[in-house]
Amino acid sequence: MIDNRIKQTIADYAAKIVAEGMNGKGDRIAMRTKDGFCVNEANSSLEGLKGDDLVELSLDTQDREYALIARMFQKRPEIHAVLYTHAPFVCAVARAKATIPAVLDDMTQIVGLNCKTCKSATTEDLVNGLKRRNSVLVPDGGALTVGRTMDEAYTCALVLDKASHAYVCGSVIGGNKLINCIEAKLMNIIYQKKYSKVNQENISKREGE
Amino acid sequence: MAWTKEEEIRLRKVIKDSGVNLLKENLVQGTWGNTAVRLDEDHMLVTPTGLDYVALQPEDMPVVQISDTSVWTDGKKPTSERKIHAAIMAARPEINATIHSHPVWCSVLASARIELPVMSDEMQKLVGGPARVGAYGLPGTKKLKEGTVEAMKGRNACFMANHGVFCAGKDMDEAFEIIRVMEKSCKEYIRQCTLKITGQLEYSDELLFDYFVSKYGR
Repeated sequence: MIDNRIKQTIADYAAKIVAEGMNGKGDRIAMRTKDGFCVNEANSSLEGLKGDDLVELSLDTQDREYALIARMFQKRPEIHAVLYTHAPFVCAVARAKATIPAVLDDMTQIVGLNCKTCKSATTEDLVNGLKRRNSVLVPDGGALTVGRTMDEAYTCALVLDKASHAYVCGSVIGGNKLINCIEAKLMNIIYQKKYSKVNQENISKREGE
Repeated sequence: MAWTKEEEIRLRKVIKDSGVNLLKENLVQGTWGNTAVRLDEDHMLVTPTGLDYVALQPEDMPVVQISDTSVWTDGKKPTSERKIHAAIMAARPEINATIHSHPVWCSVLASARIELPVMSDEMQKLVGGPARVGAYGLPGTKKLKEGTVEAMKGRNACFMANHGVFCAGKDMDEAFEIIRVMEKSCKEYIRQCTLKITGQLEYSDELLFDYFVSKYGR
């Protein structure tokens, strides 16, 4: 039985994703539960998604439709939310099979030092693409983002969308000037360890985890 | 203390609402960005560091001394960018409200480190001329503060390299007008650049995406 607060959190954030225009075909929204995780059903839309439209699965599910998300929760014990979304600028980068470099400070903090498009959409490639990062792009698809809370995963998707705007448009208006690697790493560590910690703990209680 | 309790209560609400409005108007993501309002010549209210704008309460906003930002009372720990807000308020007595945020289109020019030319009469009136880009510095550092202060000279807005935008107004309403015109002007600048580089007459996101994929795709 899925906790009502988790159901409500998922419904609320699905609506936010739709309102931001980041939704598309094959979207996923998932949260860790006591017994595994819950997720919207395969091929269901985020538009009008309700808490009762979710399925709950164990982390060792063999169902191909849900195995990728299960693997992410298994591999990253600190994450409690996974999103697969289709913001148009993000999809343009995924179509180009490009890597978004360190274009913005907040991207280096929450997304990671860069965001790669994986070679293929296999579970193994995507899980590997998320190493030391909170987002990875699916070739000719959208973006997988993860977070310690649903709010963090959603913010990560928003920031990734903004970084995609910066990268795509910046390339057209004269080129991006990048943040150096050491400074980017420093910001990432400070964000993960300090800046957001208290806030994520407070949000986690609110979301029902 | 040269302000009344009633005025402080009003301004605490102004700050609280400014954070929520940044979120509502899509001018910030998550807990990033910060705002400040002047209480008197040496004190300002600012947003606290790293906390959810929706959950924040007016009483959470700390009072920070403008001449020495290490001194603060009431509320929660102030934003690490308070030195920038303080430096602008100290240098410009006519400024009573400041916003630092990371809206999408402004972030494009901040990332490309490109000066935004005057795009409209409205921008000229509100910003005061082309919007410069301040030198890059890590968040909360002296380098970022000095770069922003330099880029703000004679202007009411500037970009912070790879970071976002800084806006200053006579009150919070004007500071919001400035950030809105900056966002609108950046979007228009990008559209014009896209049309110029593609040789097309009508802009669409697809036009931009196709050009990007053909030039940068693998």
